[in-house]
Amino acid sequence: MASDATGIMEGFLCPVCLKDFGTVSQLQDHFEDVHSSEDKAVLQSLKGFFDKAKRRILGNKEFGFRESNTQNNENPSTTCFSGYDPTWWEYQELGVTQYHTDAFRAVRDARIDHFVVETNKLLIRLDKLLDPDAPREASKRKGIVTMFSDYLGFEKSIVPWVPDGAVPACLSCEESFSILRRKHHCRLCGGIMCNKCSEFLGLTYAQKLVNPAVSFEGESGFLKRSDSSTSLNSLMGLEAEGHMRICKGCRMLLERRDQMTEQRNIKPTLVLLYEKMRGCMRDANELIPEYLPMVDSLSIGEATYSWREAQALRNKLVRLYDAVDQLSKRILCLEIKPESPSALKQQQLQKAIRVSASYFMQENLIGLQALPSEDQYEELKTARRVEVQRKIAAERQAEMEAQQRERQSQDDTERSRPNGDKKLGHTRNDSHDSVGKGWKPVEEGSRVSKVADPMLQQMEIIRGYIKQAKEAQRWDEVEMLEHNLKDLKDEYYRQQTINFKS
Amino acid sequence: MNVILAVKQYVSKMIEESGPGMKVLLMDADTTVFVSMVYAKSEILQKEVYLFEKIDSGASRESMKHLKCITFLRPTKENVALLANELKAPKYGLYYIYFSNVISKQDVKILAEADDQEVVREVQEFYGDYIAVNPHLFSLNISNCCQSLRWAQPMLSRTAQGLTALLLSVKKCPMIRYQNSSEMARELADNVKRIITNNAALFEFRRTDVAPVLLILDRRDDAVTPLLNQWTYEAMVHEVLGIENSKINLSKVPGISKDLKEVLLSAETDEFYSENMYQSFGEIGTNIKNLMDEFQKQSKNHTKVESIQDMKNFIENYPQFRKMSGTVSKHVTVVSELSRLVGLYNLLNVSETEQEIACQSDHSNQLQQIKVLMENDKVRPMDLLRLVMLYALRYEAHTNNDMVGLIDLLKRKGISEDKRAMVHAVLEYGGRKARGSDLFRSGDPVNITRRILQNLKGVENVYTQHQPLLASTLDQLIKGKLKEASYPYMGANQLKDRPQDVIVFIIGGCTYAESKLVHTLNRTTHGVKIILGGTTIHNFESFLSELSTAVKGQATKYPARTGRH
Ligand SMILES: [Zn+2]
Ligand SMILES: [Zn+2]
Ligand SMILES: [Zn+2]
Repeated sequence: MASDATGIMEGFLCPVCLKDFGTVSQLQDHFEDVHSSEDKAVLQSLKGFFDKAKRRILGNKEFGFRESNTQNNENPSTTCFSGYDPTWWEYQELGVTQYHTDAFRAVRDARIDHFVVETNKLLIRLDKLLDPDAPREASKRKGIVTMFSDYLGFEKSIVPWVPDGAVPACLSCEESFSILRRKHHCRLCGGIMCNKCSEFLGLTYAQKLVNPAVSFEGESGFLKRSDSSTSLNSLMGLEAEGHMRICKGCRMLLERRDQMTEQRNIKPTLVLLYEKMRGCMRDANELIPEYLPMVDSLSIGEATYSWREAQALRNKLVRLYDAVDQLSKRILCLEIKPESPSALKQQQLQKAIRVSASYFMQENLIGLQALPSEDQYEELKTARRVEVQRKIAAERQAEMEAQQRERQSQDDTERSRPNGDKKLGHTRNDSHDSVGKGWKPVEEGSRVSKVADPMLQQMEIIRGYIKQAKEAQRWDEVEMLEHNLKDLKDEYYRQQTINFKS
Repeated sequence: MNVILAVKQYVSKMIEESGPGMKVLLMDADTTVFVSMVYAKSEILQKEVYLFEKIDSGASRESMKHLKCITFLRPTKENVALLANELKAPKYGLYYIYFSNVISKQDVKILAEADDQEVVREVQEFYGDYIAVNPHLFSLNISNCCQSLRWAQPMLSRTAQGLTALLLSVKKCPMIRYQNSSEMARELADNVKRIITNNAALFEFRRTDVAPVLLILDRRDDAVTPLLNQWTYEAMVHEVLGIENSKINLSKVPGISKDLKEVLLSAETDEFYSENMYQSFGEIGTNIKNLMDEFQKQSKNHTKVESIQDMKNFIENYPQFRKMSGTVSKHVTVVSELSRLVGLYNLLNVSETEQEIACQSDHSNQLQQIKVLMENDKVRPMDLLRLVMLYALRYEAHTNNDMVGLIDLLKRKGISEDKRAMVHAVLEYGGRKARGSDLFRSGDPVNITRRILQNLKGVENVYTQHQPLLASTLDQLIKGKLKEASYPYMGANQLKDRPQDVIVFIIGGCTYAESKLVHTLNRTTHGVKIILGGTTIHNFESFLSELSTAVKGQATKYPARTGRH
């Protein structure tokens, strides 16, 4: 994670002139206008340079990078081994791992189970206490004392209170009770604590705890007595205002549960935008492998794919990249409350997301080759047709000449052979031949009958390969094939000589 | 056996296990280095890891529940305590916890009891507990492991942990051999063996037909290699500029631009570097020039690029080139700085003398050469020191040894007493009494042939005559001829066949020269894969520090004044 030597480029920089562009489409237009012709070579070489580096990093896991400009791939020096040794980058099993998750869970769950049981008990009690049909608190009945005790009776019927005499001191702060430090009961577990240790659960918040559909807006669902006053009035006041007295333990359990449901249910805007952005990236990544072979094929004038389809796909891709751009910009600009404790990190996070989106765009934009225009494509198609026909003619010519030569070295009896429709049957690259008309591959059987000697047959096949390799400019392959051909010839003459002698 | 891949696959696996979503990587100082050596920042960003936090910065970190937290830590007591605190008040939504080495059941329990909020999803051990420098090279970044010529205990256990983690990460359960002359090597071998035995279940994976070999060596057997100036790119950069966790500091280079003050040299992300790291200095200049020529040709520009200065100008004029191929501008800067320093300090002359002392036997002539260099004001004091140290090692027993005279000259050149003491220190550390091998291989016929061959090959090799002792040790090992008396096995098992997978570890640190040697062996020896590791990777400067700690508190057997003169 050490910072890369090249600084992180923000936005849509043109990789050649480093001008900044607002949107993907603008950059695309600029790229095609300004750099499509004259700088292609430069771009290719630079791209080659980086592609190769990328391949290196990705090792064998990545595929589908087409061979880039070969000029850069050659290491001018041969006196020393390059630092990159492909044999070290073969598949390697993941190292040993050891799994502790189960042991961890066993210990944790034993503890958590206890919490869960306790919390559920509390929630059931809370639900009953909040029952609208239950007797209401004293205050709502205009302070009628009998009703108050009715309510107490109702509470006690749901939660068994610890008898006053059973506890000499507060269970929380351990201070002993006296006239000044009076006993209070937790309405949820029935435990005894002092006033200082009491927590007050807001009733609206309590509604939300038992029913998550209830919305609750506020800082905290709990109130804490700030003064140490124990006057019955103020105390009654707080409870009367719609609060329920509970102990610290119960508060902890309720809060824990609330946080966990909260996290499950609420997604901040950032997360929503982010998920959308990743979705667009995923979609684009799925489309790219469909699009690239289309451009390749169309830009050499082949008719394998429809131009319109490719254009539609391209528009779709550009729209997706645009969306990634827009979403990541929105993420970057998301408002952060400056007083929020996580403001700084939040900012870092938003920036990092934007940077990663920029990387994503840069990588893919350079790879997103332009389609030829519809007119250009028509021209390409025609040019290709002509070219293919020319090639076929040339091949035939060469074929005939080769046969002529072959015949001279052949046994005289093999001479009678019709020419013209003779053609190599083995082509490795079918698409090249599909366009030509008035010609079809010779069937295997008929050919065998014409060329009796399997060695001659083999030599012909190899000649065909050589031709194809030459067209594809695979020179090392050509060399290898020519070598094979020579070996075959030698062997053939040797056999002929033996036959002649015997 | 690719150690970079091993660590990288661990990290990738962690990221993968946490599923989609925004992630933060929570690490300690050590694991931060482990990860940074195998993952570029841009690359890890693409895997949705957006924030990087240190576990000990807990107080200042802020709560972000929408992040998943991948925690990668060494299993130290402090880390477990810090993590338990983190879990009690979790700042992130979910935690995926990975330790880089074996963690005790007790520690797992401590963590489980802290996880009241049920935020932890995974707790595993992933053994990326070392610094992967190259596919065949690792380090533990432990400097000064040897104190008073013995193991410093915490470093012994850290080294044993690092080595066993390495074995687990590449799934090798080796036979262990160690250098018999070194007590430290024996102790380490014993520790490693014990860890393997105690964690037998972990080491139960599909074994190869021929057992791998772990060979444990001691730097004290070859104190010469870290004393020499180097001329292959990586080794030279470390010697002249210093590499720290793949980074080099160029801030002292005159007129350096802001973005080049610290540069990253990583063979994983930098193609030019991976192609040229083992090339000799001269070839790199040519290669950079070729690359520029290529670019020029394509950009239809015909400015002449002849010298390194031209190259610099050229780059200045081509901002696009500079941005896009930051790699190239970086290397031009590094190479031009190297060549500036080579000239400034007369390193060619120094190196020639070093090589002759290390490889030839011509006492009076070499003594004379050192004295001539002493007169040369361009030569750095540290280079004079290394020459005298080399001389001391080479002619320790020579009847006309003039160590005292040379130390005197060092004093007159203003070299401090601390530094002068290094001459004795190197004898104490790696002198004849400390060695188990014939370091200068006087009678070795192979060596003589090699010298003759080298002499035939001409001038260029004056600077690369010296081969580290490791070359012959590995050669014998590969041929199955490494003497058992000098390199015994730890345990009853012995290897009958020639080894295929070899892990060599040098206590007291290895060097990039040795790394290059291992790389070349890997390329040229069919069917053999060698990994090299060291407690650290030395250059002369770090080796001096290693030396001074190693001999501290030793009553020196080499009094300041010997009466031989
Ligand atoms: Zn541009
Ligand atoms: Zn209390
Ligand atoms: Zn309670």
